[in-house]
Amino acid sequence: MIKYYRFCLENGLRVLVHEDKSSPLIAMNILYDVGSRDEDPELTGLAHLFEHLMFGGTSRIPDFDKPLQLAGGENNAFTTEDITDYYITVPETNIETGFWLESDRMSDLDFSQKNLEIQKSVVTEEYYQRYLNQPYGDALLLLRSLAYKVHPYRWPTIGREVSHISNVNLNEIKEFFFSHYAPNNAILTLTGNITPDRAFILTNKWFGPIGKRNVKQRKLPKEPVQKEERRMDAERDVPASAIYKAWHTGPRRSKDFYVLDLITDLLAGGESGRLYTKLVREKKLFSEINAYITSDIDPGMMILHGRLMKGVDIHLAEESINQVIRDLKKRYPSDNEMEKVKNKFESSVIVSNSNILNKAMSLSYFELLGNTDLINNEIYEFRKTNKRMVAEVSAKYLNEENCSTLYYKSTRKD
Amino acid sequence: MTRSKRIQPAIRPVDLGKIPEARLFTLKNGVPVYLINSGTEDLVRMEFIFSAGKIKEDRPLLASTTNMMLSEGSKKYSSARLNSLMDYYGAFYKLSAERDKAGISVVLINRYLEKILELIREILFLPRFPEKELNALMKKRLSWYLVNCDKVHNIASDQLFESIFGKRHPYGRKLVPEDFNNMNPSLLSDFHKKYYSPSDMAVIVSGKIRKGTASLLNNYFGEMHPGAVCSEDTVYRMKSLARKKVHKNKSGALQTAIRIGSPTINKRHPDYPGLKILNTILGGYFSSRLMKNIREDKGYTYGISSSVSSLDLSGFKVISTEVSKKHTRKTIDEIYKEIRLLQKKPVGRDELRIVRNYILGEMVRMFDGPFAIAESFRSVWEFGLDNSYYYRFVKKVKTIDPDEITALAATYYNTDELHEITAG
Repeated sequence: MIKYYRFCLENGLRVLVHEDKSSPLIAMNILYDVGSRDEDPELTGLAHLFEHLMFGGTSRIPDFDKPLQLAGGENNAFTTEDITDYYITVPETNIETGFWLESDRMSDLDFSQKNLEIQKSVVTEEYYQRYLNQPYGDALLLLRSLAYKVHPYRWPTIGREVSHISNVNLNEIKEFFFSHYAPNNAILTLTGNITPDRAFILTNKWFGPIGKRNVKQRKLPKEPVQKEERRMDAERDVPASAIYKAWHTGPRRSKDFYVLDLITDLLAGGESGRLYTKLVREKKLFSEINAYITSDIDPGMMILHGRLMKGVDIHLAEESINQVIRDLKKRYPSDNEMEKVKNKFESSVIVSNSNILNKAMSLSYFELLGNTDLINNEIYEFRKTNKRMVAEVSAKYLNEENCSTLYYKSTRKD
Repeated sequence: MTRSKRIQPAIRPVDLGKIPEARLFTLKNGVPVYLINSGTEDLVRMEFIFSAGKIKEDRPLLASTTNMMLSEGSKKYSSARLNSLMDYYGAFYKLSAERDKAGISVVLINRYLEKILELIREILFLPRFPEKELNALMKKRLSWYLVNCDKVHNIASDQLFESIFGKRHPYGRKLVPEDFNNMNPSLLSDFHKKYYSPSDMAVIVSGKIRKGTASLLNNYFGEMHPGAVCSEDTVYRMKSLARKKVHKNKSGALQTAIRIGSPTINKRHPDYPGLKILNTILGGYFSSRLMKNIREDKGYTYGISSSVSSLDLSGFKVISTEVSKKHTRKTIDEIYKEIRLLQKKPVGRDELRIVRNYILGEMVRMFDGPFAIAESFRSVWEFGLDNSYYYRFVKKVKTIDPDEITALAATYYNTDELHEITAG
């Protein structure tokens, strides 16, 4: 059991502490409740670009990384559709340096034109390196734009297009900071070799003086219910064709969430998943295939994608996927198969909780969801799922009219 | 906010302290088992290691294919059955064949230990290498390979290894599509018989090790006849290509991958810790010279790094990045500029202090938790070294002076010896 303490400062900063004396380190995680869903549709990629700028230093601390490295620490950050998360691990004796740095950049940033220009260029290179210059790299970007018409999930965290990143100006950056970066819009989690008392004293000392800010109210357009199937074809110079499918699902907090998660485990959990067993091993139609849920806070997606073996007809390949899906709705999984995916889920949670940084990230995220106890209850939630629920939830979401399909066709002749 | 509260906290010295030692336990047949007992969760990780890496293969793909086929059917279980049992017991296993070593690692919950040991024994010592599964695997591998051939970073890395280790050496040899037609079950069986023998096995167990774990290991692996260690290995000549600059064209690429590197010393060499420190300064952490210059000052790339790695018969160092085509030349020039600067101008005190503490912090992370300790143990054990390597390393980090770094840069980063590969 993971024991944690929770408190809230007057300025609204929520704090979680979990002491793990077995580690010589402390992990410090700050989650800001802002992601790419909070962006202007004409200025996408801003939340992620902003994450880069958070390392640009302040008027008081010109270089964020060096003092932390001097303290023996390491840090990084990531941005998703929903959140921006900054994390540090540092030897226990030097945790105060982490407090000093993180509270400083929460107070205010040094918005320099030069830093902005450089990070725009860095992020553009990131766009190329991770998406546009990779085989199949733009497929999920296309799928997203097909599945969502209104909600900001229609664009990816990296941005809808490179030009959005190059067009950002300093005023927009400043406004973004003061409307989203605030103690009352953040969750600070400390795990590892720290007592709750020490965490309380240090948090008050360093974050206490930062004033509450007016955080921009989130008013996101609701994605209308999809009523008919959507299809898109893309032709690319890749070695083999691929199929991508997305079904709309409920939000992260929906009661169906763990059932859907379990369904993707039945389909694609490990080498013994149904898709791999049937379509890769037995029928040899795909070289690889995967399925997962996006776990977004607003209504998300279940995504399934596979790369075809050479010479396989794409319609036949899709029909083979549909057959696996139909089977889910028609026939209850065996007790053995249900037990298998539940056991595997349990191990994956235990493995994740064997690391102080993972524990810090999970605690922050569950706190944001309003259910911090999930750190201990997730396994139980997952275990509650039964086979009748699998058939019902499959029938509810995995339908043609709720599905977007992308044919990613190879144009290569050889 | 009062001023006093904003004063930078004092930084206390970072120290690795005492490294937890692995306890050696020997099975009845002589197989060494290293036990690292710590951790908070009821988990263990077991790694079974053999000298069955690429270096032992007489044709491309043989080591990795033998390794991947281990779980494709055993005497008792079909591949589907093996995998569904592994999943049923919640175990995460990973087969791997590296350049020198090969084997399997598995993370599991203690209560299923005995079940998993039985499966591991099937996988490691009773594989059937069925032809149907082999053919399917080779087709899949060919299609993965073809996708990798479209990635500039793979094209550049493969070329670098060929350039520095030679076209014939298993460390350097590049794959061609025809290689995927050259496997058959009897080749795999032979390779398996020679190199997956208990006499050559070592086991590393880490995590919350329950009482009785060692005796269970004895039940499953200690009764086997150890077999002979194979001694008829082919010896390959390692020879760098004469041509130092190679460009691989990839039409339509938005970025060029750059790899600059050469063979170098490995962990067994006394200069290795110093070289690792030098590498950190050049490109081994976020505030490295290369990152500061090429990413944070010029914005040419999302990331640039340099690394030094050890192999059994050699070592290599490589600087890696991907940049927009128009910045390729400028980036390469800046890389050489940074190397020359390290050869000419001693590193300043402030920078050296940061690097020292950063590396010491990294070392604390390298021993945080049982799995990390096991990884760190393995990476010295496989070179015939022990934790004294890390203590020597720490001592070097604390005592190295700027002139020594300059001298190391001159010795080990001779720009005439570096191979420069671009793909894009």
